[in-house]
This record gives sequence, structure tokens and C-alpha cells, in this order.
Amino acid sequence: MRERTGRGGWRAIVAMALGVLPLAGPARAETCLSPFVKRLDRPEKYLYVFCVDADAKDNDFVAVVDVNPDSDAYGTISYTLDLGSKGNETHHWGYTDDRTRIWAGGLLSSRIWIIDVATDPARPRVETVLNDVPKVAGLTGPHTYYALPGRMLISFLGSADGSVPAGLAEFTNDGKFIRRINNPDGAPYGYDVAVKPDLNRMVTSSFTPMRNYKKPLAQMDLNDFGREMVVWDFKERKPLQVGKAGLAPLEVRWSLKPGNNYGFTNCALDNSIWLFRGQADGTYAFKKVATTGALPADLRQSPDDKHLFVSCFGDNLLQQWDVSDPDAPRLVSTVAPGVQPNMMHLTGDGKRMYVTNSLLSTLDHAGRFWIRLVHVGPDGMKVDPFFNIDMNKLPTGPARAHDMLVN
Amino acid sequence: MSRMAFAVAGLVAALGLLGAAAAGGPPTGGGVATALADIGPAPEVALTDQAGKPFALSSLRGKAVVVSFIYTTCNGSCPATTLGLFRVQQALRAAGLWGDKVEFVSISLDPARDSPDVLAAYARVYGADPVAWHFLTGPPGRVAAVLRAWGMWAKVGPSGVLDHPSRIFLVDPKGRQREIYNLEFLEPDAVVKDVKSVLEGGTGREGQRNAP
Repeated sequence: MRERTGRGGWRAIVAMALGVLPLAGPARAETCLSPFVKRLDRPEKYLYVFCVDADAKDNDFVAVVDVNPDSDAYGTISYTLDLGSKGNETHHWGYTDDRTRIWAGGLLSSRIWIIDVATDPARPRVETVLNDVPKVAGLTGPHTYYALPGRMLISFLGSADGSVPAGLAEFTNDGKFIRRINNPDGAPYGYDVAVKPDLNRMVTSSFTPMRNYKKPLAQMDLNDFGREMVVWDFKERKPLQVGKAGLAPLEVRWSLKPGNNYGFTNCALDNSIWLFRGQADGTYAFKKVATTGALPADLRQSPDDKHLFVSCFGDNLLQQWDVSDPDAPRLVSTVAPGVQPNMMHLTGDGKRMYVTNSLLSTLDHAGRFWIRLVHVGPDGMKVDPFFNIDMNKLPTGPARAHDMLVN
Repeated sequence: MSRMAFAVAGLVAALGLLGAAAAGGPPTGGGVATALADIGPAPEVALTDQAGKPFALSSLRGKAVVVSFIYTTCNGSCPATTLGLFRVQQALRAAGLWGDKVEFVSISLDPARDSPDVLAAYARVYGADPVAWHFLTGPPGRVAAVLRAWGMWAKVGPSGVLDHPSRIFLVDPKGRQREIYNLEFLEPDAVVKDVKSVLEGGTGREGQRNAP
């Protein structure tokens, strides 16, 4: 038996040498997606933009922007997918592991659309609408759509009644509820989730629940935002530690390099970047490492793990930080693409970053909405003067463009 | 958004910083009752094995089963998947579980090429123990129906080779899906632990853990 096993092992090693090398693939890949999502293996042709009808009188929709430079329609909206209902506060979304579907959700309606982008990437179609998520999951405000193998993990902003505690839930890729994952005591708020598979660690962050974010800005309770970050044993879905960062730690961005046991978050109401880092005893330390412009709303990573991009919603700026030394980020580039830049989406080659400018209907202060392109090069960021999609003169009137994905 | 609003936000943030601890203690409450959820039923698979004999997944009720999808001419994730499963096979053998308690099923994504003989040769290359590792193929239409039932797919990509998701399913003795791995989570020790867990009889539907 031992001898046979040995031969099998050698055969397997040879087979691996022959077969696995192509897996290495390009060193650069899309960032800020679940590591379980299949990466695009070519330049993007389509930019999907999740849009809120600005006056909530028409249905929310997905805009498909042609971003194929060889196309006559480059830089224009080539298709819109009507989502069939209005007033959802369509916000964030994410691919399933096999990149055939996008799960997309509304912060006010807690409605989730499962959108087929494989049958015809130029013309996505709604496959399923989940209308009863608060009932089945006991949570509201679906926020981050994070692919696991064959499933979707979703972080929510609040409990079924729009207050706290927030939590997470898992669904099958076609929309069947699997289970809820409760936040631990002392961490009632929810926002983002990100997994570091090689370390078996997951981190979640904090914002504010529907009872607060549905209000106009002037009426929001600034004491109803969280500052907690939870470190989890991912495999066990078990909370290990509740740490604290600045107020409203939003995006969770693990270092992209295997084995690196640290990551960053942007604290929106603290105007800062915080570092979370694993220590020798297994716990994590949380430390403020940079002061950003006002209201850092989104945080993105360069594929080489060297830079962070921060959208400073309150100062109308994008900042590029060199985080080669994670303890001492260094500001290397700043651009002003327009009023209140918010969501960013960087391509897998790290050279193009699409930008939108709506955060929430209750927080937006810009009168005009747009989608722009920022080129990222060795000398920093530059706004493309020719790529400027006006979201104010659509057939249904102005639309607030928020999250984006490329295909 | 007024400057005043930002000023207020900044004040709140500054006050909050006073209470920003470096790290909290171990939390109470939260999480889930069991790591391995009940993901759903394992659809039936009735195909032909590498010996040319009919094989049904349901014949393995009472055992844990690891179900994978591969094809023999794949030069992407399949070789690594099968190699990873070989390592898991060895770990399960060392744990005394192989065969009696757990078996493997690998379903071809390319049944037109992967005849039983081809699959048998592939199995030998990877040291797959034919006693408990079943490589399955069948008429393309029937295999396609199996793929659909499992939420899997295979299609020819722009480069001319078959594209497909990388998923490996753990099925419990009652025929329920309890975990889905991809290559990054196909750690032999973790799979052995999961297999032991589902053999111990948890259903994955236990209630949420309550805060003490």
C-alpha cells in the first residue's frame, strides 16, 4: 500500500508540474472583489453602473457603459436594465464566484436582484428578485455582496426593524437563504466584510442602520454610527475580537499579498485611514495611520498592493496613498474629478479607475451626477478629459450613479 | 452637505477617538451554532464510472462524499483540484476514514472526450484509489443535466478551452451539501475535520448561538 501510494504521489507531482503552471496567470488582477471571484482575463468591455433614479419617480436601473476603446459607442451608455421598482436606494453589488451573476441590493427596500451577466454581457437581465430578505434573514440594508464558493455572503447594516444589531447572511448563488451569522456583543453595527483565505480570517466593519441613514443628513444622529471592527475565524464563522477604529470604518481591504496579516479601512467620520494588523499573540491591533480629506467614502487598492485610493467625498478629491510602509502611508497624488466623488473601480491592470459621485440620496450635496475615468500611471492620477458621462439628461431624468463592476 | 455638517462630524470623531482602544477582549455571543451549514440537497448523479459500470451518488448514503467536477484535458484548475483531492485522500486514509466512511466522486465536464477508459487512465496518473474514488461520465445530455442540477457549467471560452467554476462539494451521510471548497480551501486537514464533523451527525440547521 505504501509503495502504491508513493507512485501515486510521484504521478500527482508530475501531473501538477504539467498542469498547474498555467494557473499562475497574470500577476495583476482586479482588486476589492472577493478572492473567490473569477478574475477578468482581458481588458474590460463593459462598465456596469448601479443607479438610483434621483427623484425616485422612475425605476432604478443598471447602466451599461461601453468601455471598449475599439467601439464606436465608447464612453456612452449602451444599454439600461430597468429593475422594475423605484425608491430602492440601489447601492452596492458583487459578482458570484463564477462571475456569471451580479447580486445587487437596495438599502431602503432591502430588495436584492440577481442579475445574469453571462448570457449576454452587453444586455444583462434580471434573473431573480428577492423581495423578502428581511423576513428570511432577519436583517435589513444589504450592503456588501461577497462571493464564497457556490454561495454569497452578505453583510447587512441593521436588524429586521432597521435598527441594530446588524449581521451577515449566506445564500446559495441562485437565491436560497442558508443561514444568518450574528454580530457579537459589543459590535452592533455592520457595513463591509472581507476574507483573507490564507489566514482563515474575516473582518467586518461598522456604519449606521436604516433608522438613521434613511433620514436627511441634518436629522441624522451622529451618535448612531459604529466604530467597531470584528475579526472572525472565517471557517468557523466565529467572532474572535472586537476592535475599535475611528468613527464609521467602512471598506475592509486586506493586503493582497499572501501571508500579509494586515489591512486598512477608511473611517468616514474620522477623516482617516486605519491599519489593522495581526500580532504575535493572534490578536489584532488597530491604529490610525493617515489623515485624509473630508469624509473618505471609498477605499480601493492597486493590484501591486502598493497604493490605496481614497475618495474624499467632502473635499471633492481623490487621493492616492503609497502604503509600501503600512504604518506610514504617504500621499503621492491628488485629483479633483468633480463634486463629491465617491465610488471608484480600478481595472485589473491598475491603469484605469472609473469614478461615480453619489453616496446616498440622503447625503448627496452635488446637483449633478456623472461617471468619469481617471488614468493611473507612474506619475499618479490624471482625469480623462474626454470620458465624462452626464447622468443628468437621461430619459428618466437625473440618476445617482453609485457602485460599478467591469466585464 | 454644509461645512457645518462636516465640522460636527469632525467633532464627534474627535470625541470618539478618546475611546478608541487598540483592541478589545474576546467577544461574547454572535457567530453560528455550527461551522458547516446545510446548504441544500445534493442532486442525484446517475452516470457511468471509470470501470464502465453504472454508478449512483445515492448509493453512498450513510457515508460522506466529496464531489468534484473536472475534465482530463484541462490545464487550468482541474489538475490542481485532482492533486489536492489526492492529498485529501491520503489524509483521510491516515485518519482511518477512507472508503468505509468517505468516498470521492469526480464528474467529467467533457463527457464527449472523457470515456471510462480515459478517466481510468487519468485516475491512475493521480493515484486515485478506485475502491472509493469514482470518476464519472455518460451521455453529454445526461452529464449536462447533472451540471445544471449542481449549479455548475462548462462552456468553451475565447481561448477555445472549456471554462468552468472551481467548486468541490462535501456531502453528508444524509445527502445534504455541507461545504463548498475551491482550491484555496482544499486543505487536507480542514477537509478531514469537516468530514469528521458531518459523520458525527450535526445537521447544520442548529439554531443561532445565543449570547450568554
